[in-house]
Amino acid sequence: MRRLGECNGLEYYLWLFTRLSAILMLGAGAAGIAYANIWGRTLMDAPAQYRWAFFPIYWHVQNTDVPDVFPVWANAFWRVWCTILLLLASLHGFNGLRVVLEDYLHPPVLVFLVKGLIGLLFMFVFGAGTVIIFEWF
Amino acid sequence: MKQHRAGLWETLRYQGGLGAVVWVLHRITGLGILLLVSMHVMAAFFMNALDDPISTTLTRWYQSPPVQVFVYFCVLYHALNGLRVLVEDLYPPLWRYHRELIWLQWAMFIPIFGLPAFFIIRGIVVGNP
Repeated sequence: MRRLGECNGLEYYLWLFTRLSAILMLGAGAAGIAYANIWGRTLMDAPAQYRWAFFPIYWHVQNTDVPDVFPVWANAFWRVWCTILLLLASLHGFNGLRVVLEDYLHPPVLVFLVKGLIGLLFMFVFGAGTVIIFEWF
Repeated sequence: MKQHRAGLWETLRYQGGLGAVVWVLHRITGLGILLLVSMHVMAAFFMNALDDPISTTLTRWYQSPPVQVFVYFCVLYHALNGLRVLVEDLYPPLWRYHRELIWLQWAMFIPIFGLPAFFIIRGIVVGNP
């Protein structure tokens, strides 16, 4: 077992980030499902349950019959909530992709290029998601 | 640090028992979630920006029942296994019960995954009531 002091800085913080973002995402998912099932009556099939878990914004859940979905959920609080979730999820996911690929790619040039590509993909997905949350709905 | 040159095939062939199986599944389901969620975000973005046929086709594909079952498998497995890893990392004495915790995880996973998956698959085969 490695002691804390022997860990290389950034890698350790990314390891910690993976755990902490996982706790936050699980908590946010549980909160979304609990809220939907307290206020919802019917039409809560499995896909609706997990849409509520991850992205409780009104256009994403409008086919469920939780009351006042449009005026209540289109506010700044839930948009910021979704943006934070999107940031945590995309960092967690693209960092995981980097960890997996580093196990299988060895030439340093290739690793550098792949890391750059993952960074660009992360920025694109997070940017596109933020535009979707704030601009179009 | 010594580099272990293991390829994908060596990873899948490695006979590490239960621990290796849940580790490989954690990676596969994580990559599955990343692929499908990124595709979902990009398809929604381009559908609104360009209204192109590719986004429409992609959206129809990931909303189809078999893909929904796959996404549900990935999300639920990754969440439960990640929670187990988290609990073992935060409270190392639980490492003694590593195997028992994995069986507990499967005991939770099978009904929570199986029931909705059964209804989605029944919807494909015989149609929804």
